[in-house]
Amino acid sequence: MRRGFTGLIVGVAALCMLTSPPAVGQTPAPAPYTPPRTRDGHPDLQGVWQALNTAAWDLEDHAASLGVPAGLGVVQGGAIPYQPSALARKRENFAKRGTLDPERKCYLPSVPRITYMPHPFQIVQQADKVSVLYEYLNTVRYIHMNGNPHPEGPIDWFMGDSRGRWEGNTLVVDVIHFNDQTWFDRAGNFHSEALHVVERYTRTGPDHMLYEATIEDPKVFTRPWTISMPLYRRQERNVELLEYKCHAYLLEQEWDKPGFTLTEPH
Amino acid sequence: MSRRIRVVTALTIVLGVLLLTAASVRGQAFWAKDTPKLPMATTWVAQKAKLPRYTPPRTPDGVPDLQGNWSGAGGDNNSFLEDHEYVDVTTPAQESFVSDPPDGKVPYTPWALAKRNEFLAGLARGWPGETGQRLHLSPGSFCLDGLPVFSFDPQEIIQRPGSVIMLSDDTYRIIPTDGRPAISQNAKFWFGNSRGRWDGDTLVVEVTSLNGKGWFDSTGHFYSENTRMVERWRLADTNTMDYELTIEDPTIYTRPWKINFPKRRAGTGPTGGPRGVTAASILPPLATKDPYASESWERACFEGNTESMRGMHSLGFKWFYGVTPPK
Repeated sequence: MRRGFTGLIVGVAALCMLTSPPAVGQTPAPAPYTPPRTRDGHPDLQGVWQALNTAAWDLEDHAASLGVPAGLGVVQGGAIPYQPSALARKRENFAKRGTLDPERKCYLPSVPRITYMPHPFQIVQQADKVSVLYEYLNTVRYIHMNGNPHPEGPIDWFMGDSRGRWEGNTLVVDVIHFNDQTWFDRAGNFHSEALHVVERYTRTGPDHMLYEATIEDPKVFTRPWTISMPLYRRQERNVELLEYKCHAYLLEQEWDKPGFTLTEPH
Repeated sequence: MSRRIRVVTALTIVLGVLLLTAASVRGQAFWAKDTPKLPMATTWVAQKAKLPRYTPPRTPDGVPDLQGNWSGAGGDNNSFLEDHEYVDVTTPAQESFVSDPPDGKVPYTPWALAKRNEFLAGLARGWPGETGQRLHLSPGSFCLDGLPVFSFDPQEIIQRPGSVIMLSDDTYRIIPTDGRPAISQNAKFWFGNSRGRWDGDTLVVEVTSLNGKGWFDSTGHFYSENTRMVERWRLADTNTMDYELTIEDPTIYTRPWKINFPKRRAGTGPTGGPRGVTAASILPPLATKDPYASESWERACFEGNTESMRGMHSLGFKWFYGVTPPK
């Protein structure tokens, strides 16, 4: 039943893509490319990848400000379809982003946000799972490919529960069981615990991969919407994931200051 | 790996102090007072000397195949590195992890030994000699494991041409085996910087660039940012990994020293950790009906424990910034 529902969303998203031409500058449709295969016969997505855009600051078109590069949006159709009350909350989030952004608490950032944080990540494929090793927080996300459905909820995970399958040359990942404590970016774009994400990873060349994520949350948005961006294979011969243990730096910086506190969850 | 559903726990401060250690945030057993002393380095060194030579299978690219899920050291969950008697239900009597020197003691310099005793005295764990001042906590209490604790814990090993990947339930190590040089020693990390090579049947990993902010256990055995570690991972039999760690740091130790214990292939042998007995590891994997039993689920250690961390701060515990050995 959940699979059917997912199919519906993907179908709706596909229809949107067909009926509305993509905004200028957005990722072109993937050219036909036959990716190399793993020993299991699936497209080989392995390696060190990184997004190269400003989605970490704002998923939508935005001007520059101090320390923030201007950027073109990655949302298909341009704007995120907020319900009116949710749009008000988003604006409040933006105004108070300096203190409210969960990134400042060093919490796990949820999906899809972790994909376009300005850090590389490495994909490792096995028969029963695809593991995504993120430099950001040095966390690992297991995309289960073992045929198990999502476990029964309610479960309030930061990174959700990821179940993957292959559709042609595309890895399709269905993610549910989130909590409401994470955002999509530093501009206050947010979701509820009802968030449902369908990610699509498609190799478009030897060193490029198309990343798409369809986002559904009936408590916050009027309809599903999709972000799309290329991922780039890091070319440095010595590329290597290093460390970003956010909460280690936070605790060490704050521990001996008067008025020490860890930001309360909102 | 067991299934876990993250629960936002409102640990009391007392519970937090008693239990929120590197050990207790993972699942662990509870031990009766009359539990015989658990074996570690001494027993393992004697056992492996009697084992026939084992030739490991090879991966398609011709190196020893160490892949699979491996248990942690077991026992008291890295609570106390050296030989000790029973402390409480989480900390049974156990042999030292230290195989060399043969007395099982870390060969600290006099300055470092005084430091180590200072850390021990300021714990709130119920160890003999504690002052009752709550001053020191293991970095693991803040969900900050580094090396070598990562290696002491359970992990899955995956091999790819040119690298060995180790996955735990919430983090990973990627060890290049392609001959690249280590990075600058001016860049320091919790996990240091690992470089692997194959020496016969053994994976040898040189770890440099350590930041010196981690402990070996949760009771104050420490290293520094000058410390260099060499791990040796070798199959002793099909289901037993012989893990040996050499630690060198002339600024705090009088000589290089070694830790040695076995890790058991997950699902073989008795539950609850390997505790050194390789003969039992030929048992078949335990059957389970839970289709999710082999999956790792989100732990969100930091996110779920900020309340306890605030509590530890209010009690006056110090942050461990690492040590500064005398010149």
